[in-house]
Amino acid sequence: MDIRLHRRNFLTLAGAATLGGLGLAGHTNHAKAAEDLVWLTWENLAKDDYIGPFLSQSGIGLTKNFIGTDDEQFAKLRAGGSSSVDLITPGLDKVELYVASNLLQPIDLARVPNAASLYDTFKNTPLGKKDGQTYGLPFYWGINPIVYRADLMSEEPDWSVFFTGEKYKGRLAMRDYALEGIMIAALYLGIPRERMFDMDDRELAEVKKALLAQKGLLRTYWNSISDLTNLFATGEVACAFSWVPPYYELLGRGLNMGMAKPKQGVIGWCDTLAIPAGVSDERLDATLKLVDYLLGADYGAKLAVGGPYALSTSLAREKLTEEQQEKIFVKDLSIMDSFVWKANPARYSDWVRLWNEVKAS
Amino acid sequence: MPSATINEGPSGKPLLVARALKKFYGGEPAVRGVDFSIEHNSYVTLLGPSGCGKTTILRMIGGFEAVSAGTLELDQRSLVDVSANRRPVNTVFQSYALFPHLTVAENVGFSLSLKGLDRATIQTRVAGALAMVRMEAMSGRWPRQLSGGQQQRVALARAIINEPKLLLLDEPLSALDRKMRKDMQIELKDLQRRLGMTFLHVTHDQEEAFALSDWIIVMNRGVIEQQGSPEDIYRRPASAYVADFIGGANLLSGKIAGVKGELAAIDTEFGTIEAPCTSGLNAGQVASLCLRPEQISLNGNGRAISGAVSHVVFQGAESLIEVEAGKSRLQVRCERTPPEVGSTIKLTFDPQRAWIAAGAMGQGS
Amino acid sequence: MESQKAALTLLVAPVVGVVAVFCLAPLAVLFCYSFFHVEFVEIAKQPSIGNYVKVAESETYRWLIAKAVGTGLSVAAIAGVIGYPVAFFIAKRVVLLKSVFLTALLIPLYTGDLVRIFAWRVVLGAEGVLNSFLLWTGVISEPIQALLFSTTATLIVLTYNYLPFMVLGLWLAFESLDDRLLEAAADLGAGRWATIRRVILPRTTPGLLAGGLMVFILVIGDYLTPQLIGGSSGVTVISAVNDLFGTAFDWPLGSAIAWSLLATMVALIIAAGLLFSRTRLGRSIISGG
Repeated sequence: MDIRLHRRNFLTLAGAATLGGLGLAGHTNHAKAAEDLVWLTWENLAKDDYIGPFLSQSGIGLTKNFIGTDDEQFAKLRAGGSSSVDLITPGLDKVELYVASNLLQPIDLARVPNAASLYDTFKNTPLGKKDGQTYGLPFYWGINPIVYRADLMSEEPDWSVFFTGEKYKGRLAMRDYALEGIMIAALYLGIPRERMFDMDDRELAEVKKALLAQKGLLRTYWNSISDLTNLFATGEVACAFSWVPPYYELLGRGLNMGMAKPKQGVIGWCDTLAIPAGVSDERLDATLKLVDYLLGADYGAKLAVGGPYALSTSLAREKLTEEQQEKIFVKDLSIMDSFVWKANPARYSDWVRLWNEVKAS
Repeated sequence: MPSATINEGPSGKPLLVARALKKFYGGEPAVRGVDFSIEHNSYVTLLGPSGCGKTTILRMIGGFEAVSAGTLELDQRSLVDVSANRRPVNTVFQSYALFPHLTVAENVGFSLSLKGLDRATIQTRVAGALAMVRMEAMSGRWPRQLSGGQQQRVALARAIINEPKLLLLDEPLSALDRKMRKDMQIELKDLQRRLGMTFLHVTHDQEEAFALSDWIIVMNRGVIEQQGSPEDIYRRPASAYVADFIGGANLLSGKIAGVKGELAAIDTEFGTIEAPCTSGLNAGQVASLCLRPEQISLNGNGRAISGAVSHVVFQGAESLIEVEAGKSRLQVRCERTPPEVGSTIKLTFDPQRAWIAAGAMGQGS
Repeated sequence: MESQKAALTLLVAPVVGVVAVFCLAPLAVLFCYSFFHVEFVEIAKQPSIGNYVKVAESETYRWLIAKAVGTGLSVAAIAGVIGYPVAFFIAKRVVLLKSVFLTALLIPLYTGDLVRIFAWRVVLGAEGVLNSFLLWTGVISEPIQALLFSTTATLIVLTYNYLPFMVLGLWLAFESLDDRLLEAAADLGAGRWATIRRVILPRTTPGLLAGGLMVFILVIGDYLTPQLIGGSSGVTVISAVNDLFGTAFDWPLGSAIAWSLLATMVALIIAAGLLFSRTRLGRSIISGG
């Protein structure tokens, strides 16, 4: 089995993963010492001009393998791909699943100096950790706000617009995603954040009632961000729980867009850097160097402009203009107090079932 | 006639009359203006080679092709604007066209059930029609379980059950083998007599036409060459084409030297010969002397032609001999031991039994 | 003969193998999974019928399966009504441009799902072509919201998507319908309607059934169209299965729902087939050909 061949692209990686799962994994382990690092990540995080300086300075080689969804990344690793990957990029809320499946190793923060500059909220979050050890190191983050057509709405909306009142009936959209849909209902209902992912039957019943009311107000559920952008552009939808990109894209096209971050709380998301369990020795050293670079000011400044996304450390913040800071929500750091980080609910199957019940009603 | 059957029309008038009937396909003439009539209770054959327009005429009568010009009347009522399903005419199709999704009995009863007759009546009449074609035992079968001959009978039963004034048969026997065809010919004729129905039968097979018909209409290239009784057509062909097409006559072509009543003189390569002729011949016109093989004898009396034997075809009781005489090849029947190929023999015939028809072969008509 | 048989077996064996591996094996795997259950991130492999009990007890999943079947039947019926005259026209009336018509008919299939769906959004949307036209003509004063993101919209777009399959099935049936049978029917006194009812319909029923079956199955499998066109009521049993496999990581329950759907469909098709084969028409098609 020729390792280099398998690393060319994604498909062959998948093939290797499958074969690895069949018990050929041991074969790959000792053959890779002197080779490139392999980073399983999103395409927009590994652009050449973001990481080029680090690679030329350190002399480390890097192979990038891109993922389409978080679930895909998880499935791949579980199927045995962990042995041929040195760094992965799971969501903060998903790290728990990887840890439970024994796919990750704890990260020695002493060997990642830039981790000391993590914002407090990331330092203190219990997510990505187990028994006091960090498995998923917060990497970059953003928020999922309400985006709306300011020309079609007379006031800045908050979550209640999705649950009560007839004014915008038939002009609203919600993401077709159980986790966020139910979190928003919980935020609207005022369910305490610390209980949000451990709601009991009574609370879930309340949530369901609210979501049923919501369904009557919706024009549709949206499935992909390009779908939602299209809905805004064609005037089908005036206001939606959204991601940030449509806001800038439609502003750029001349539409009068608004973005609201409700006081009840904003859903924040964060992707982490995590190291598969099998990485060791000089490969681990090189990986930790890469991790440190990815949390540093140089990378952060580029991501802030190109993403635009904010790093989990404060290191790049000083290099940015106020406008750039505003764009990635780090100008006024108090926003972090209203964040609700996505987590993995204990009864996620019940959540999905509830969500399907609402949609099928 | 007080005892008239249902198919007997008003006294004396023919059942079907076509006048100057024409059919064009996008400017191409298929039928170039034909006149004929069909008597009640007769068996009429439209005879001709493929592409002569005979099937087109049948389809115009059936209502499957529009009439381009001329008139077509059944019982003195024009058929031209009557749709196929309203004509008192039924067809036996060349391919039989039995409905594959219906049983034999259902196929036969199709037209009756369309009329909304009650089940018992339909059953009785279907049984009657099937008995007529000796297919009673097959009533529950599907068409594809039947042989070609059986399908043929079912198609026949289906077409006669509704007692049409005129039954059209489109090359009904062409898909059958020779033995079956002979049997069916007899049955068809018999059926027509028993039913007292008028049959119009299209075929390219002259033997079939002779076996069945009271009246034959010979067609060629969209026109009628001749119509008449089988005997007329055989003995007194109007044209060389008919003489050749019917029964394979030997034709000696030449110019008419003169006409005298029912006799004409024709200049052939074997000299001038006087024989009975078709009407309307004029001196100077190209014509043909028709000699049927059985009208020529070896070493008999009468006009003599000598020639060399080129082929001998043994046919059982007799042989067919081909003789090269001058520029002609003559076919002769021979009941005794045939002469050797290559030998020279003398052929004789009685000019009074020969016939002069208009035109010559290969010249068109 | 023997060697021919052996050669044939050799030729056919790989095909059967490929079909078995690529078509049946995944279903078999799903079937096994449907008896397991999930404990956090691990799939516990102690077989039980718990998942099927869940599906049977859940009004939601029962309703979603029924809805899928209902939608499949509705779209197949609509496509049959629309496709029938279209197929007749192409097979029996078009002579010169037949391939042009057939190609045009298949154009929807050349474009991707999403292209078709977004094109329909442009047509049916609140600010879409149809509403703009109706507003312009003054027929309506407010855009008709229900044109898009409604059950009606879903049925329209599903019909559009799968009509070609119905027409193709019917077109083949019409092509093999012998014109002489129509002449025979007319000859025997059948008018236009009697010919349609007694000859054309029975002779094209196999095409109608084949087309209908294809549409039925394809519609049930299409979750994208209802999701993107059906609005807040666009959920399908397939998208529910998708959620369970993807976000919830509950493969066993997802498998059980998928198999329940599959079993329902197969049972329905077999039941319909049995019923049909007992009708007169069914018998005639089976035996009469």
